[in-house]
Amino acid sequence: MDSRQAEQELAVIKTIMEDSRKIGIDKGVHYIFWGVLVTAALIVNYIFLVMGISGPYIGMLWLVLMIGGWVVSAIIGRKENKARKVKTFAGKILSAIWIGAGVSMMMLGFIGIVTHAYNPIFVCPLIATVLGAAYFASGIVQSQNWVRNLSFGWWAGAILMFIFPGFHSLLVFAFMMVALQTVPGIILYRQWKRYESAPAQYV
Amino acid sequence: MALLVSVEEAEFTYIRDKINATDGNLSVHLKKLEEHKYISVEKKFVERKPMSLYKITSEGRKAFEEYIRMLENIIKR
Repeated sequence: MDSRQAEQELAVIKTIMEDSRKIGIDKGVHYIFWGVLVTAALIVNYIFLVMGISGPYIGMLWLVLMIGGWVVSAIIGRKENKARKVKTFAGKILSAIWIGAGVSMMMLGFIGIVTHAYNPIFVCPLIATVLGAAYFASGIVQSQNWVRNLSFGWWAGAILMFIFPGFHSLLVFAFMMVALQTVPGIILYRQWKRYESAPAQYV
Repeated sequence: MALLVSVEEAEFTYIRDKINATDGNLSVHLKKLEEHKYISVEKKFVERKPMSLYKITSEGRKAFEEYIRMLENIIKR
């Protein structure tokens, strides 16, 4: 083998390795599922408040939906994992980011409120802040700048809700859930579908 | 090998599509790598469909690194 052949061989290896690391791991299904679930819960929560339905019922609503959400999410995750054709370290990091963010949001949303650690009116901006961090990290891991940039939307929304707290935060947060979670989930799903139909051409 | 170095594990059809190889050609290559204990394979059924998952072993990783070093030495010469 001469040096030109060696250079070519190294270039091919480098391309394959870089390409494999860039694998579009995220199918977007969890984004869509949680986006729809939380948006629905936020709207019901808002209606409850407008109708004067008290706190414990709202707490129950969230508890049931969130536990149900985690169960469904775990089932989807298990199914995806079984059928996955490739497992990457990036995929592991991504799961860790979202499980970590999910647990943090549960802590803020339930433990924080039950223990009266803070005024519940700030639950939406606090959760939006956590989501911003999760999107920032997962966008970097996936090498998808547009996913990373969603975090700025989450953080901007959080600032808005911190400055102007109130029941309307629920509607602002519901809008953010659709625009910054459900719609990106659909885009990721479409990307994944395209990738599934032509994996060799996808970089 | 370059593909398997950069992922945790990969399924046969995934590797085939990624490197544009034929089933037969890839099978022969993977068999040879397996015989040299450079890769390991786990065969399972998912929704009644067979699935072969390939993983690089520590020996495989070492051999791959040595190969890269060899290529670099040729270029430096």
